[in-house]
Parts: sequence; structure tokens; C-alpha cells
Amino acid sequence: MPSDDPADVLLKQQKVLADFGSVALQSEDLDAVLTEACRLVGEALGTERAKVLEIEAGGQSLLVRAGVGWAPDVVGHVHLPMDEHSSETYAIKAGEPVITQDIRTETRFGLPDFLTDAGVVALVNVPIVLPGQRAYGLLQLDDTVPRDFDQHDIEFLRTYAIILGPVIDRLHKVAALRTSEERFRLTVETATDYAILTTDNEDRIIDWLPGAEAVFGWSAQEAIGQPAAILFTPEDREAGRPEWENETARREGHAPNVRWHLRKDGARVFIEGSVWRLHDAQGEPRGFLKIGQDVTERREADERLRTLMQNIPQLIWRARDTGDWIWASPQWLDFTGQSQEQSRGQGWLDVVHPDDRARARVAWFEAREHGGLDVEFRVRRAKDGAWLWHQTRAHPMLDSGNGHVEWLGTTNEVHVLKELQERQAVMVNELQHRTRNLIGVVSSIATQIMAHTGPTDAFREEFHQRLAALSRVQDLLSRAEQEPVTLRALLQLELDAMGATKGDGIRLDGPTVRIRPTIVQILALVLHELTTNARKYGALSDGGGRLGVEWQVRQDKGGRWLLIEWREEDLLPSAQGASTIRQGGGYGRRLIERALPFTLDAQTTYVVEPTEIRCTIDLPLDRPGQDGRHAG
Amino acid sequence: MNPDQALAGRRILLVEDDFIIADDVAAAFGSAGAEVVGPAATPRKALELIKQTERLDGAMLDINLQGDLVYAVVDALQARGVPVIFASGYDRSAIPERYADIPFCEKPVDRARCAKDLFR
Repeated sequence: MPSDDPADVLLKQQKVLADFGSVALQSEDLDAVLTEACRLVGEALGTERAKVLEIEAGGQSLLVRAGVGWAPDVVGHVHLPMDEHSSETYAIKAGEPVITQDIRTETRFGLPDFLTDAGVVALVNVPIVLPGQRAYGLLQLDDTVPRDFDQHDIEFLRTYAIILGPVIDRLHKVAALRTSEERFRLTVETATDYAILTTDNEDRIIDWLPGAEAVFGWSAQEAIGQPAAILFTPEDREAGRPEWENETARREGHAPNVRWHLRKDGARVFIEGSVWRLHDAQGEPRGFLKIGQDVTERREADERLRTLMQNIPQLIWRARDTGDWIWASPQWLDFTGQSQEQSRGQGWLDVVHPDDRARARVAWFEAREHGGLDVEFRVRRAKDGAWLWHQTRAHPMLDSGNGHVEWLGTTNEVHVLKELQERQAVMVNELQHRTRNLIGVVSSIATQIMAHTGPTDAFREEFHQRLAALSRVQDLLSRAEQEPVTLRALLQLELDAMGATKGDGIRLDGPTVRIRPTIVQILALVLHELTTNARKYGALSDGGGRLGVEWQVRQDKGGRWLLIEWREEDLLPSAQGASTIRQGGGYGRRLIERALPFTLDAQTTYVVEPTEIRCTIDLPLDRPGQDGRHAG
Repeated sequence: MNPDQALAGRRILLVEDDFIIADDVAAAFGSAGAEVVGPAATPRKALELIKQTERLDGAMLDINLQGDLVYAVVDALQARGVPVIFASGYDRSAIPERYADIPFCEKPVDRARCAKDLFR
């Protein structure tokens, strides 16, 4: 019963407002808040009955949304039509509290049946208005005895109703938010590469969305009620991973879930996801939301790549444009004994041989310009401190993530190769040396035999000169790797050997033409024959004359051809009658007319006239190469 | 057997890219009473000659012909049952295993003497 002391009443009513405020702020359940509101207000005014009526959609009726002191079939069930003769409609329209002290004397409106049934004789209707002056409904207090609500009561109720408006509005918004969450949920249900599930406090599966079925293979029927731990691998279950994740989420709000999981069929899927703590409306923990994406394919590709990068014999690294390393493969760390941190930046240079560091830096400097790095340097092997030759290659890649250029490089041991190359170079030199010596020995043997068989001087001279020509060309060939043999060089070599100086009526005219090593020797011998003949009887002899050698390259469908035209003019008619090319067993002439066509598929002409000698040699420059294929 | 007798009347294909050697060997074979087919400086020419020549009693082949290897010619000859001997500056070990049974005559020994191995 209410106290009669106005001061007590006021205190009590203020306490009610404070209590309600705290309830209203803590809860998100509209029905619970309204019920509590009714209980508190009924208690404060000593009416025992109170209710909240909500205007229903369309504005034509009211629902008994919440209340205390009513029969079970009233709250949530009774709808009141908003007709003109009801106290409810009257109060809403008035926007003011409407008081009926005794229904028996009330002339403005009648009473709904359920109130009459409940024995209500006095009541007060207080409109509830939402922010923006939108009518929500009524707070109604009822009493079974005639009652004179005084001005304090009315003010209290007005205040109470004013508070109710924003509280209801807030809860509406929360509900709208839930609805949008529901919409979100519908959206995620269609995202089947995301597994989404919720569990209860014991981590048993409650919700199992279609994506979860797609990822894990279990149907909703099979999954719901199962412990979520069935999705973990036996190792992870053993290690307590499911519990650890849940505990972390309980403590921190969420926890990462990035690991291999188990499908129904026993296959494994790699999930990147997280676990979230859930609360119910009262703020009590009510399990977990688990959401994750199946990234197995990407993961496997990553792992294959990682396996590849960590197992190929090359040392791999990544670097910035400046040659600053940002990552080195385990192979590099193993080989050099560096730590990942030590190799970073320019740190990798510390294990490069001091003599090679400048070269490595210069190579990096030029690499940006060339769009590629290719350099050899020695790298220190941690195991024994040996400096081993390595070849390093790298290419720039545009990192799509940040637009920076990144270099991916390999460093490959070439020490054995390098040693072999060096040994080979030594061997080639040795071989050339021996070849030339051998020619010398052959020459000596010939001389010794001639000493007692008594051959002519002419034999000796010819023989020695041809051997000398052979020997010269071996020299050229031994350097062919570093210094390609050109036609001009061959000509010059023979002319120099004859002591013929340029300008003495000698003209060489043609482009730079490289002669492939396999045909150098035969061509050199032919040029030797022509030069020797010119020296003895032609343009280079004491008789005088002019020597012109012109050559040109042309492209034919079979490849490139080289046409050489050798021309001696203004010769003394008597001198060239004794041409060695004609005489001397016709050796020179045979080389030109038979050996060149035979060996090189060349076409040759050789013409001797009273005052001139003309020789043309037309030969394919490129290796035929197709020959063997005719076998099929 | 006297090499001259072994070669007399034989028709022998000569494959050799060095004219000076080919010329010399052809002359030696000729004076031993053999009839030289060729010489051919390339595998292509050698294969042409094999096609054109009805009777071949043997063949002496250089292995490296200006960078082309002679093995296609070996295959064509063996398909016809013509005995083959290699004559090359190559080391024996450089020859592929499937041709390892073929007699081998190292340059620059007397080729005519070597050639009798064709007819043992």
C-alpha cells in the first residue's frame, strides 16, 4: 500500500524511476523492459495492475504488449479496437493523461470487457510518445477500487511515460539491428566457401550454415548437436586446440582459427577464420560464432612453392631495387651460416669474397638499367670457410601489393664448372701449342729426309710455306673463342707473312665478316695459295701490278653467302706465265676448284689472262646444319 | 692378308670432310685396286650416294663432318648390311654405345691398311 506521507511517496517514486532507468539501459529485450516498467509503476502507485498498450500496424488497434496482474491470456493476446468511445483512443488523441476515478460515474467512454471481467473500476491512461512526436501507445494503470489519482501521481506517470518513449525507441533500433543481422545471416548463408557455425557454451554445434556443409561435408542434420571439436584434426584435439581457441575468444572476444581441419570424409581442409564470443540478450555468454574460409587450394599451392623454394639446390632470395635483401632461403642460411637478419639489406655481401664485392655492387647498379642481374662471385661456405664460385641471377618483379619492384634471385654454385672451364682453357692452349709444335716437327722431319733423298729446293720451299700457313691459322683458331676470325684478318695474316704492306697497290674492301672456325683452315690455305702466287708471279712480285680483294655478303633463301673477288691487274705479261697455281702440280688450283666446292659447297672461278688474274669464291657462310636430317 | 689384295675390286664409300685427306685416301684406295664412291663431305651427300649406288662393299666414315655427326649414314649403311669402319680424330670413348662395335681407325694412320678390317 502507498504511504500517505507525500515526501515518502516522492522518494519512492524517484527510486522507481532510477530503478527503471537502470533496467532499461541494461536490457535489449523490449518485452522484458516493458514488463518491468509495469511492475515498478504498479508497485509505486499501489495499483497491482498495470499494462502497456501498443498501437498496431495500420493504427486501428492496440495490443496489450506487456503487463502485470493480468490473466495469462491477456498480455500478448488481447487486441483493442481504437474506436472513438474508448478511453485509450481519447488519451492518445488528447496527448495527456486521462483519469477515470470510477467507471460507474464515467460518461466519456466505456470499458473493454477484459477490464470489467478483471474488476477494474478506476484507471489512468498515459500516452507514450516516441522521439519525433510519434504515438507509440499507452501506459495504463488499473485499480479494482475507486481511486482518486492525485496530481503527484499524474506528474509521476507523465515523467515515467516520457522516459519510456526513448527507451522503447532504442529497443526498436536494437531490434532493427537484429533484423539487419538476420539479413546479413541470410547473405552469408549463400556464401558457400565460408563455413559459418555457432555453438553453445559447451561448444556443441547449434547452427550449421550451408557453407559449413560445403566445406566440411557434414549435413546440418549430422552436425547439429555434435561437439565442434570433430572439425579439428586428431593432433589438434590432442593438443587441446579447440578449447584454447574458445578460451581465448571467451577472454578476448575473439580468437584466430587458422589451421588444418578435418572433413567428414577424413580429408583435410585448411581454414583461415576466427572464433567469436556470443552473448544473449541479458549479456550472458551463450557460446561461439565460428567463421572461416576454405583456403586449402591456395595453401597447398603455397606449400608446394615453399617446398620447391626450400629444396632446390639454388640459394634463393628476394631483394629491393637497391640490392637490399629482404629474404633469404634456408639454403642460403645453411650454406653461409648467416641468420635471416644478417643476410638482410647489404648483409649478404659479408659472405661474398672481398675481391668480388665491388663487382657485385656494380652488377646491382647496372641491373636496374638492364632489367636483370647476372654476376659471378665467390661465396663463403660456413662449413669449411671455402670460397666457392657462384653465379647469381635475378629479375625484377612488380609487387602487386604495394607497387614496389622486388627482385627474385638465385645464387647457384658454379665452382666445379668454373674450375672445369679454367682447366679447359688451359687444355685448349696446350693443344694449340702441341699442334704448332707438331707442325714444326713435321717440317723438321721433312727437312731431314730431304737431306739424304735429295729433293729440290722448290719442294722444300713450298712445303715449308704451306706448313707455315697452317701454323698461322692454328694461332688464329686458338683465339677464335675470344676474337672471332674475320675474312679481313685472314687476308691480312697472309699478306703480312709475304711482307706485303698495305697501300702498295693493295686494296681490301668489304664488310666485317666472321668466318666460322670449321672453314677457317681451308679458306686460309686457299688465300695462302693466292697470296704466294701473287708474291712470286703476280701483283705482289717485283714485276708489280695491283691487287684488289672485294667481298660482300648476300642473303639467299638457304642462308647468307659470301662472295670474294680476288683480282690482280696490270701484271707484266711475261711474269704470270709461270703461275704456281697452274704449276706446282696445280695444287693451289685444285684447292680452289675442287677442295672449296667439295668442303664448303662453294662455287669458284679461276681465270688467268695475260695481264690479270681473277678468282671468285662464292661460299655459304652459315653452317648447313640440315644435312643429317635427310636420313629419315 | 695383304691390304692391297683385301681392297682389290671392292667398291668403298668414303665420307670425309677434309679435302686434302679425302683426296689422299681416295688415291691410296685407288692404287690398292678399290673403287672409291665419293668422297662425300657431308651426311647429306653420303646418303645421296648410298641411294644412288647399287653395290657397296664397305664404307670408311669420318665422324665429325664440319659439326654434323655421321651416325645417320651409319644407320643407312647398316640397314643395307654394308660393313663400316670409322676413321676419325675423335677419341674412341666419344662414340655412342650403339656404335661401339664398329671398327675404329685413328687418324692419321694408314687408312688403306685400316680398311682391310672391313673384310675380315
